[in-house]
Amino acid sequence: MKIEAIEYGDRSVYTVSAFNRGVADWISRLPSLWVEGEVTELRRQDRWQSVFLTLKDPADGACLAVTMPRGQFDALRLDLADGERIHVFGRPQLYEARGDFRFRALTIERFGLGDHLAALERLKRKLADEGLFAPDRKRALPRFPRRIGLVTGNDAAAKRDVLTAITARFPPARILVAETYVQGPRAASAIAEALREICDAPEIDVVVLARGGGSFEDLLPFSDERLIRAIADCPVPIVSAVGHEQDVPLSDLVADARASTPTAAARLVVPDLAELNARLERSRAALARGTRSALDRERRRLDLARDHLRRAPLLMLERRRAALEQTAGRLRALSPRATLERGYAIVRAAGEIVRTSSQVAAGARLDVELGKGGLGARVEETR
Amino acid sequence: MSEPSFEEAQRELEGIVEHLESGQASLDEAITLWERGEELYRLCSTRLDTAQGKIEELARRVEAVKP
Repeated sequence: MKIEAIEYGDRSVYTVSAFNRGVADWISRLPSLWVEGEVTELRRQDRWQSVFLTLKDPADGACLAVTMPRGQFDALRLDLADGERIHVFGRPQLYEARGDFRFRALTIERFGLGDHLAALERLKRKLADEGLFAPDRKRALPRFPRRIGLVTGNDAAAKRDVLTAITARFPPARILVAETYVQGPRAASAIAEALREICDAPEIDVVVLARGGGSFEDLLPFSDERLIRAIADCPVPIVSAVGHEQDVPLSDLVADARASTPTAAARLVVPDLAELNARLERSRAALARGTRSALDRERRRLDLARDHLRRAPLLMLERRRAALEQTAGRLRALSPRATLERGYAIVRAAGEIVRTSSQVAAGARLDVELGKGGLGARVEETR
Repeated sequence: MSEPSFEEAQRELEGIVEHLESGQASLDEAITLWERGEELYRLCSTRLDTAQGKIEELARRVEAVKP
């Protein structure tokens, strides 16, 4: 292929497009070959034509962008995870429009566990054997922390997301933020140091360790033994909010609680103020209801007492009258009336019962009481 | 002799009834006691009527001031 240059006197100049086309053409003549490395940043989406991944040299971190048509990649059924060691057969290619250099894969083969994964697995087993991940080491998180420590990278997103989630749930939350390196070789010890410092700050009752999503390598510091031990030694409870749901750095295992999103972290460390207020409101309503019902109850009791009070005197009277009538009944049953019924009579003169004839004289007026009725009579003679 | 109270009158009446019931009173005594008993009965009955009148009057007044 002939690449045309523009001539400016004795200087030949190429357009970007011509330059890229020239380099691409030259690169395309390189042979196909195998390259070994670790998978990082595997990006695959159903609507994309190609699958992208970065092949990383575990020795010095050198990177190579790799693409593969999605159909071919899917047909391999590799189910690759970040950190896995692979061999890629392909050829170098320049994406002309962008001048991007990449390795176009023709096939991919898995080559055992990545060094990182294997090392990580060994560390995980060692720490687990020491009991660092044991459930009985987990401390309960405070319901109302006086102050929350937030250890986060200087990548603004993770910090902002956690702060927003916490203050949205509990606006009066007091948060002390410690920013530190979260990536690179110094990250693990820097995070551990930040953690120790924030735990020494006054009134810190819980600490959130936050890091947004990232590649397998990005999250490696959160599986570093130094940091894991620092978390285990931390005097206050720790929530690990590192990476996404599918990432399980060792910090997640050693922390007292794990959160896969900033919102989940917020739910763990602060109560929902709106819900607290609603509950308080319900309690207050119940209180008012309770008081009113007690009042009603007392009023009913009083009404009942008043009714009894009103009825009591009449009731007492009724009882006395009944007793009186009963006594009167007995009195009458015993009265000489019964005797009179048998034919006897009681004779009175001037109100006095006449017992001897000498009490009256002839012509005296007599009252005679009979069994039924009575007579007025006069004395004919006395004997 | 002043009028006995309701309770005194009732007690006397009951005493009379008990005495009569014991069967130990002579006829004369029985008649005297009976008459006294009737008198006491009237006295008590009148007292109760008076009390009832007062109570009902009071109740009417209480009802009248009730809101």
